[in-house]
Amino acid sequence: MKLDLLLRSLARGCRTLVSRKLYIASMVVVPIGFTLFFINLMEIGLPIPVPVAVVDMDQTQLSRRVVRNLGSSELIDVSEKLTTYHQALQRVREGKIYGFFFIPENFQKDAINGKGTTLTLYSNLSYYVPGTLSFKGFKTIAVTTSGGVVVTTLSSAGVSDATAASLLQPVIITNHPTSNPWINYNYYLSPSFIPALLALMVMLVTSYSICDEIKHGTSVEWLENSGGSIGIALVGKLLPQTIVSVSVGLLMLAIMFGFNHFPLHNHVWHMIWAMVLLVVGCQSLAVIVVCAVPNLRLSLSVLALTGILSFSVAGFSFPVQSMYGAMGIFSYILPIRYFFLIYVDQALNGIPIYFSRWYYVALLVFPLLAIIGVRRLKKHCLNPVYVP
Amino acid sequence: MKQWFLTLFRVWRREFRLVFSDGGVMLFFFALPLMYPVVYTLIYNPEVVRNIEIAVVDHCRTAESRDLTRKFNATSAMQVYGYAPDLAAARRMMNQHDVYAILEIPRDYAQKLGQGEQARVQVYCDMSLLLRYRTILSALTNLQMALGEEIRMDKIDMAGMVGETAMGSSNGISSEAIMLGDPTQGFASFCMPGILVLILQQSLILGVTMLAAGASQRRRKNHGIDPLTIPAPPACSMLGKMLCYVVLYLPMCLYTLHIVPMMFSLPHVGNIWQELIFIQPMIIGSAFLGLCLSVFVTERESSFLIIVFTSVAFLFLSGLTWPRFAMNGFWTLIGDLIPGIWGIEGFIGMSSNGGSIWDVRHAYGMMWGLVGLYFLVGLGLTYYRELPGRRFAKEKARTNP
Repeated sequence: MKLDLLLRSLARGCRTLVSRKLYIASMVVVPIGFTLFFINLMEIGLPIPVPVAVVDMDQTQLSRRVVRNLGSSELIDVSEKLTTYHQALQRVREGKIYGFFFIPENFQKDAINGKGTTLTLYSNLSYYVPGTLSFKGFKTIAVTTSGGVVVTTLSSAGVSDATAASLLQPVIITNHPTSNPWINYNYYLSPSFIPALLALMVMLVTSYSICDEIKHGTSVEWLENSGGSIGIALVGKLLPQTIVSVSVGLLMLAIMFGFNHFPLHNHVWHMIWAMVLLVVGCQSLAVIVVCAVPNLRLSLSVLALTGILSFSVAGFSFPVQSMYGAMGIFSYILPIRYFFLIYVDQALNGIPIYFSRWYYVALLVFPLLAIIGVRRLKKHCLNPVYVP
Repeated sequence: MKQWFLTLFRVWRREFRLVFSDGGVMLFFFALPLMYPVVYTLIYNPEVVRNIEIAVVDHCRTAESRDLTRKFNATSAMQVYGYAPDLAAARRMMNQHDVYAILEIPRDYAQKLGQGEQARVQVYCDMSLLLRYRTILSALTNLQMALGEEIRMDKIDMAGMVGETAMGSSNGISSEAIMLGDPTQGFASFCMPGILVLILQQSLILGVTMLAAGASQRRRKNHGIDPLTIPAPPACSMLGKMLCYVVLYLPMCLYTLHIVPMMFSLPHVGNIWQELIFIQPMIIGSAFLGLCLSVFVTERESSFLIIVFTSVAFLFLSGLTWPRFAMNGFWTLIGDLIPGIWGIEGFIGMSSNGGSIWDVRHAYGMMWGLVGLYFLVGLGLTYYRELPGRRFAKEKARTNP
């Protein structure tokens, strides 16, 4: 008897799912389109060379050597040679260059006679990544230039070449970026942003599909169809969506870790289960919100806000530990936060699953919380009121 | 002609009434631009990452190695969480998320320094967040230079060279870095100016599509005629609506682009009046773009499913995170078609980098171009959409004259 009801409810769920193009578009086309967009956008991994300029006020042998050295850096592309500071600043404002290297007047003279001179590196940090890369490129050249002069001075003071080299850099601190030694931006951003978009769409579709019944007053018939049990009704409606969204999620994983060989240092099943739990967790979060505000527009507003803010508050780019406590705490009500932590542990760093155990548990808590609220939803489904 | 302007005025007035009688649209037009910038900035407002915990594996255990550890601890970027006996133990600390980097000092560190050879130490950095990596990296670079300087001075003194030669050699060429646009290198200062502009565009498009979908719902119920719409030629109707949104968004622009940056001390070195003039074509273009997009939005609430996710895509197309020069031609073209992307580029040029409207004339011109484009597309779409209504009216006129 129960099974009959469940099957009937499932059949109805599938029917509504294929009845409108909107569902197909937002569950399949948008997430997959976004995945391809994202991966294709950052295909080259690191945005180099960064267009920069050089302002050479000195025009001597030494300054020209510096300019040549700048040209040989892989990080920057000296696309313009300008004559004044103001010209360079204007090019920055126009967004044509992301920084410029300023060589002062009397540069060679003051460098060699020991008076001392200063190279100024201007980087436009309004664009964080290219700004940082241009700074890195400039700094390397400035340091090697300065080093070259120091070696010359020391040699002339009678210091042997070997000693001069060790005097130049007595301690070398080697930095090892583990797991992503290429500092590939695609590897860094895609595995968090792409599932976060899926999470956003899953939450919106879940809430839309439930509240749409209330809007059109078909929620009474929806409940009747499953013998008056809100549990069966929800399973019938949401399970087909779960299957579609999990398939889309797995396709995302396949595109990233399979076809594009993103770092995956532990077993792939750890990510597959995380993806399944992420989809179910997001559906549950949406059900919780719908139970609290059973109104199509308001629940969508709340979930859109949550979904869009989750890109920031889940700490994909700015660490949660550094946020204000009152803001950071919100990251823990987001399923995508736990998915992100699992991704970092399991795929990027490939550490034993033991260390991620609580994240999986946290994702399992969302469905349990959703069960508590469904009674309230049933009441609203029986008396559907549409507030535009 | 007079009639035309009168109709324009009536469309404009009716649009006001429609906006203010619709809670959903009010939420998009007013609550969203008022709340979102504040919430967003609060998330990023700590600006910089400080005191990242590191583990130290000290194989050397000498005064020199302890001094190095103290120097790591003294940076604003890093903080020593604790010593680990070996790398495996340090790895375990990292796995438990107690530390995000490991400093390994080799056994011969002090010996090499004493012998005047180059000493090498290793730092292993967690790469889950590039901001952490960047903070550690720049701290390490500065540390290495300062340490080098200190040791070099000691050595030169010991070698009995004249202090002046030493000073000369180290001060030969120094370098100074100036960070334009975001002098504090803060995260909110970098990303908020772009996000602010995008919030204006997206909230406007959401509201416009929701309004249009409401009209479309009424048309469906009423044989293709919306009783609340003033009958007007397509151009007149589009311009009237647009003027209404522009008026509504003037205070919103002032708040978002001027008051919010002031509240949170985000970069705002531009002239606000020039910025307000600059942003107008973006508002107009977004209004027309919204009217065009409303073809896809037939129910008020579908605007969430269709519009919301585009914010993320637009943010990336804007080049704020991934610069536009590194995109391929296709994505550059798509980005060129979005008013907000030019808006972001220009607004950053003005507000963060202190440019005038002349410095960002390219973006300004492109936005006016998009205004023209979306006006024409919108005209075609409005004409097409109103066909059934006109047909119905003609039919009605024929059957009962």
